[in-house]
Amino acid sequence: MKNKKILTGPYLLWVIAFTIIPLLMIVYYGLTDTTGSFTLKNLAAITTPENLKALGLALLLSLVSTLICLILSYPLAMILSEKKVNQSSFIVLIFVMPMWMNFLLRTIAWQNLLEKNGVINMVLRFFHLPEQALINTPYAIVLGMVYNFLPFMILPIYNVLSKIDKDVLFAARDLGANSIQTFSKIIFPLSIPGIISGITMVFVPSLTTFVISDLLGGSKILLIGNVIELEFKQGSNWNVGSGLSLVLMIFIIASMAIIAKYDKDGEGTAF
Amino acid sequence: MSNKLIDIVDITKSFDENVVLDHLNLYIRENEFLTLLGPSGCGKTTLLRILGGFETPDSGNIIFDGKNINNLPPNKRQLNTVFQKYALFSHMTIAENIAFGLKIKGKSKNYIKDKIRYALKLVNLEGFEDRSPELLSGGQQQRIAIARAIVNEPKVLLLDEPLGALDLKLRQDMQYELIRLKNELGITFVFVTHDQEEALTMSDTIVVMNQGYIQQIGTPEDIYNEPKNAFVADFIGDSNILSAVMVEDRVVKMLGTTWKCVDEGFGHNRPVDAVIRPEDIDLVKPGEGTINGVVSHLIFKGVHYEMEVEANNYTLLVHSTDMFPVGTEVGVKVDPFDIQIMKKPESEDAEAVGIEE
Amino acid sequence: MIKNAFKRFYLILIVILLYAPIVTLIVLSFNRSKSRSKWGGFTGKWYLSLFENEAIMNALYNTLVIALLSALIATLIGTIAAIGIHAMRPKMRTFMLAVTNIPMLNADIVTGISLMLLFIAFRFSLGFNTILLAHITFNIPYVILSVMPKLKQTRKSTYEAALDLGASPLYAFFEVVFPDILPGVFSGFLLSFTMSLDDFVITHFTKGPGVETLSTKIYSEVRKGIKPEMYALSTIMFVTVLLLLLLINITPDEKKKKSKINKTCNQKFRNQAKRVVRTVVPATIVILIVIGGFFYKSSAGTSGNNKVIVYNWGEYIDPNVLDLFEKETGIDVIYEEYETNEIMYPKIQSGAIAYDVVCPSDYMIQRMIQNDLLAEINFDNMPNYKYIDPTYLEHSKEFDPENKYSVPYLYGTVGILYNKTLVDEPIDSWSCLWDEKYKDSILMQDSVRDAFGVTLKYLGYSLNSTDLDELSEAKQLLIDQKPLVQAYVIDQVRDKMIGNEAAIGVIYSGEAHYTKSENPNLEYVIPKEGSNLWIDGWVIPKNAKHKENAEKFIDFLCRPDIALMNFNYITYSVPNTELKNLIKDEEIKNNRVIFPEASDLINCETFQYLGEENDAIYNQLWREIKSN
Repeated sequence: MKNKKILTGPYLLWVIAFTIIPLLMIVYYGLTDTTGSFTLKNLAAITTPENLKALGLALLLSLVSTLICLILSYPLAMILSEKKVNQSSFIVLIFVMPMWMNFLLRTIAWQNLLEKNGVINMVLRFFHLPEQALINTPYAIVLGMVYNFLPFMILPIYNVLSKIDKDVLFAARDLGANSIQTFSKIIFPLSIPGIISGITMVFVPSLTTFVISDLLGGSKILLIGNVIELEFKQGSNWNVGSGLSLVLMIFIIASMAIIAKYDKDGEGTAF
Repeated sequence: MSNKLIDIVDITKSFDENVVLDHLNLYIRENEFLTLLGPSGCGKTTLLRILGGFETPDSGNIIFDGKNINNLPPNKRQLNTVFQKYALFSHMTIAENIAFGLKIKGKSKNYIKDKIRYALKLVNLEGFEDRSPELLSGGQQQRIAIARAIVNEPKVLLLDEPLGALDLKLRQDMQYELIRLKNELGITFVFVTHDQEEALTMSDTIVVMNQGYIQQIGTPEDIYNEPKNAFVADFIGDSNILSAVMVEDRVVKMLGTTWKCVDEGFGHNRPVDAVIRPEDIDLVKPGEGTINGVVSHLIFKGVHYEMEVEANNYTLLVHSTDMFPVGTEVGVKVDPFDIQIMKKPESEDAEAVGIEE
Repeated sequence: MIKNAFKRFYLILIVILLYAPIVTLIVLSFNRSKSRSKWGGFTGKWYLSLFENEAIMNALYNTLVIALLSALIATLIGTIAAIGIHAMRPKMRTFMLAVTNIPMLNADIVTGISLMLLFIAFRFSLGFNTILLAHITFNIPYVILSVMPKLKQTRKSTYEAALDLGASPLYAFFEVVFPDILPGVFSGFLLSFTMSLDDFVITHFTKGPGVETLSTKIYSEVRKGIKPEMYALSTIMFVTVLLLLLLINITPDEKKKKSKINKTCNQKFRNQAKRVVRTVVPATIVILIVIGGFFYKSSAGTSGNNKVIVYNWGEYIDPNVLDLFEKETGIDVIYEEYETNEIMYPKIQSGAIAYDVVCPSDYMIQRMIQNDLLAEINFDNMPNYKYIDPTYLEHSKEFDPENKYSVPYLYGTVGILYNKTLVDEPIDSWSCLWDEKYKDSILMQDSVRDAFGVTLKYLGYSLNSTDLDELSEAKQLLIDQKPLVQAYVIDQVRDKMIGNEAAIGVIYSGEAHYTKSENPNLEYVIPKEGSNLWIDGWVIPKNAKHKENAEKFIDFLCRPDIALMNFNYITYSVPNTELKNLIKDEEIKNNRVIFPEASDLINCETFQYLGEENDAIYNQLWREIKSN
């Protein structure tokens, strides 16, 4: 007990066994062919036009949904952070609550809402507005991403905002800043760690999803996640799948590096 | 003294159903060092925040320099605040912190640079421009907070328990520092504290508050020597507060005997409170005083001895430079001038009700 | 005021966005119709049948047990680790926290794949345990990140004070430090529990046969249409949590009205409520799991050797048949489903899971025979084999030349299902799939061979073509078709056609009967250019561990009464000679979609395995189409 560091031991073993080694396995598969000899072919698979397109589309859609999440979440987080403590904890729970309904079911339910004869079009028809083709379009996928990952943007931003000392804001006002200046010079810069963490929490899962594009894209739209899933589950080419996963990991590692830079406490601000 | 600068007229403020300030009236003069003194929850910080513009009163007016500023947002007020926990901007350097208000006012770069240097010199932190506030000690952060406020040349500086987080020595140093600053800048300071010694040391005027009411306004000497009620007496310094009966003008009955005093106008045989400061009690040989007692405790306090004397079932606190060992029988003598008579509050609530000006 | 109104409006808007799908699901749980696209009137029956649906209850039980165990273990390891990390020097701490962040920031799909590769490489058999390990792995970071801030807040001095007062370090920790970090530990636990409950992707990659969680169960049901019981179950779970939360939080509103004294009372009450909830939540979970245990009956238990591991298409057997089989033979059935042949094949090939009996399609059987993955079936053990219709045994020879490896199970054709009210003329040709008129009203099959088969037939080629010119011609046609296609789907064609979402869909004949009963405007046709006659048959993989049980299982399915049960449930054609005699409904008996006559099948072909190289070409072309 004197040396508490030893307590990390079991966890360290766990991390090595179930995080580090599995990742190394992906690296191994990604850099070898079926016979086990070294190759870069699997990495190069990303350069085929269809894979590049899937990656590009995934990047585009995930960037768009991240941006939308940010735009939606920031004002929301600000409104929440102004609430009194016990009130806001309840409201925050409201945004976590949907997670108790299964993620797949929630996404499937959007099919009902978006379809040609779905709820949204029924409402539009009722008001004699033109019907919209929503399901099986990139818009539906973006909606699915925003919907599923929105709480991951709200929570970290809310957390940093509610941690800002109200007196700091009063100080800015006191020193002559109007509310817009207070926002741009104080609130926004102080909330950057939360924004960064929110962006990663939304961007990475959006970039790599295959379920949302499957369910709301009608399998017409192939994202990089779908390609990898197909390689593992259907094409049974684990090597190419691993190679593509490695390419994806470049983006993930970049995100982690950015987080590490802003999150100096090393604690994450998500929860 | 000089003119009224701020007039606080009939201010009421409550949070939920909690009345924090109840029809409060007060004025602050130009170039005054005014201290709002009281226990926590007495409304002193709320009053300061109303002055700063961070809270809006439920009713009443704040008149600043002849103009009603009730609805003026904080950024338009000619006041600046030094916050309790300093509220420095952690994402900016010291220089950026100090320059904040000036940049917003659109001052020139050179002006700002000069001001920063001047302000840092004023608070004895020259050369700290590029450091991050998070790396400074509490006292240093405090000075930066002051520097950040005064570069804007406010007419009034509001200080919200600014010394609360500092240790004793630093606090005493900062007390002198603040007095020096005030004299150098020639502006009004409104200072909030719960530390009576701090208040007595620095203020021109002390406003003692309790439960949303002003208890007494006066110079440090007034407040200390002539507390208007038991609350003030108790809050400011050590004192013996004794239940007594005013027999007639200038005669009070307490500790089982009658004493001469100088107070008049309390009526006949009315119950009152009598305050005697511990240093005003003289211990003499048994029989030579008004009553006799026995020393039950003795502590050496440096400047004086602190003793407790049991007399007629009361325990009196006595400060004296003469030492009487425990068990010594003594006589207790009080100069009539040192017995302060106050009306007894009729109920607990009545105790809090203030004294109208 | 306006500002506040706007804020409220904005909050409500986001809440609507978040809860619209949830309301939808709750509504669906009261829908009498099985199809999610049609409102069939109000009913509460799914809430009752839910508790009789063993598959769902098993999935629920697994989900809860995995969530509870993984959260508990992760909390234990994570809390201990957090204390250790807290005691580290800053540099080391930063490193450890970066490592901790990996599973949180990493993509689920990468984490899932990496763990799957690990488990397979080290010969862990995929199943309950592997899911549990995976969940613990991704839960630990949540615990650490919840506990660390609390640790930071605890002052070292209190711990030291306890030591000073004579406490042993362990005692001091539990009496002084632990109560301080308890809220962090608790929220870490809850977070882990929730994350585990909601996970699909990682479970998808690390699960094994017979073990389903709610997520994987739902995913396998997606293609077929979600069972309404699932909506009912989610509604129950959601409402339970909602009620618990309301219980904790409802009091603050009331307290405003009350006086000061009452306020403290209320506070007390609230604290009490919180305490109650904190004990109630875990208690409820435990009770749920115990109840689940009754349904569970250790049927998926890995213990006991008298079992048979079945790997079948989704919704491809009457669940009562499985019960009956278990009752009659005493053999435990471990049952798992797949969506396509292509998903099934690598699992068999890798041998990671030793399935005993699998139901691939014609061409896939051929491929498995060629790759030596199948065992010869011992027909001596199968007295009911004689009921198999010889016509289809003959057809089977196209892929299993000596009828040695497979027993036909179901058969059918691929055709067009169209909505009479949405098309202008009678449909009799594949050409309608390329008709601009039907833009966004066409549902195409989302599988390589079916999509190419249809196109090749339309072009007049064989659907087993390996001619590169023919294939590239087909590819171009499919690319041209893509803008017209509403979605590429498999079994979802059903729901979408029932819900009038599309005019034309490529579908298996077996679905025609059911869809027509739900929506009388639907008609099925085998286009004149010809189509695919498919046969799905039972095979036994070479690495099966319970071959005799597998044969008993196949034989059981050949029994005429069982064939009838399956026919009634699946509505696909069963090649059983006795079947027609058992069916009483004349209309069904004479239905040529269900029981096609030889003349209907003139231009029809069976799929054949085209070899790995050609497969790769097909896959490549298909991906080019999909990503075009």
